Amino acid sequence: MEEAHFSTVVLTPTHEFHRGIGVPRTAAIEYPYGRPMGRVRDREGQREVLLRVLELLEKGQTPGELLYLPFKWPEAPKETDWHPPEMSPIVRAYIKEIKAARRGEAGKRS
Amino acid sequence: MKQTKEAVDGFRFLPPGLAAWIRTFIPEEEFQGFIPWTPLAKTLNQATIALISSAGISMKSDSPFDMERERREPLWGDRSYREIPRDATEEDIAVNHLHINTAYIKQDINVMLPLKRMAEFEEERIIGRLADTAFSYYGFQWQSTAFLKEAIEPMAKKMKEEGVDAALLTPA
Repeated sequence: MEEAHFSTVVLTPTHEFHRGIGVPRTAAIEYPYGRPMGRVRDREGQREVLLRVLELLEKGQTPGELLYLPFKWPEAPKETDWHPPEMSPIVRAYIKEIKAARRGEAGKRS
Repeated sequence: MKQTKEAVDGFRFLPPGLAAWIRTFIPEEEFQGFIPWTPLAKTLNQATIALISSAGISMKSDSPFDMERERREPLWGDRSYREIPRDATEEDIAVNHLHINTAYIKQDINVMLPLKRMAEFEEERIIGRLADTAFSYYGFQWQSTAFLKEAIEPMAKKMKEEGVDAALLTPA
């Protein structure tokens, strides 16, 4: 997109993904997946997020710029119900590897 | 840019196992390579901005994204894209995505694709114009070269035709 002469900004719940590829402007928000702009019908909250993202689009100076947005989701992660109703195909296919990764991290902490 | 001191934890909402698995694929350091860069050539209140989301949104009048093949082939993701008119509402759309709960987008499209909020900003002259067409694709892509050719190139062509200066992308 940038090579086609468009300025771009990405609003993402997982800015860590961008470490592998490099993204021109990233606004990182700690909101659950599927609702990066905010809660359903929360007009004011969505506007606040959008204003900050557009500010980054206009004022960002450096390729790879990463802006942490200060907004906090009002629910605990377990209460957000962002998961798909059925287990994702890739999670189903790699469930053994996922469990092994968790055991690996737990082992490092102990 | 004024930076908040508190870092955002992109893994906070993930179950621990899935977070641990994903971390095995992600470098610990920020990206150090070349990043393409186009400065915004206009002030925000003069710029035409397009919205793009990877949430698998389609118009009900259009064909939906293919979920059945992904169910059969867990590493396959639909590489097509859809055009969403700027005046679309949640009444007009279908949302198909196997990695999120799509119910919220169907209740309020603006949680993912903030068309109404951007139209308000256009009215208030915070932005120059919201582009006539927004775009959605399916954010589970493993063949980036084919995806760039089949989806991003035609989207960019349409954006040029509509005089777009910049794009806001919202991954699901």
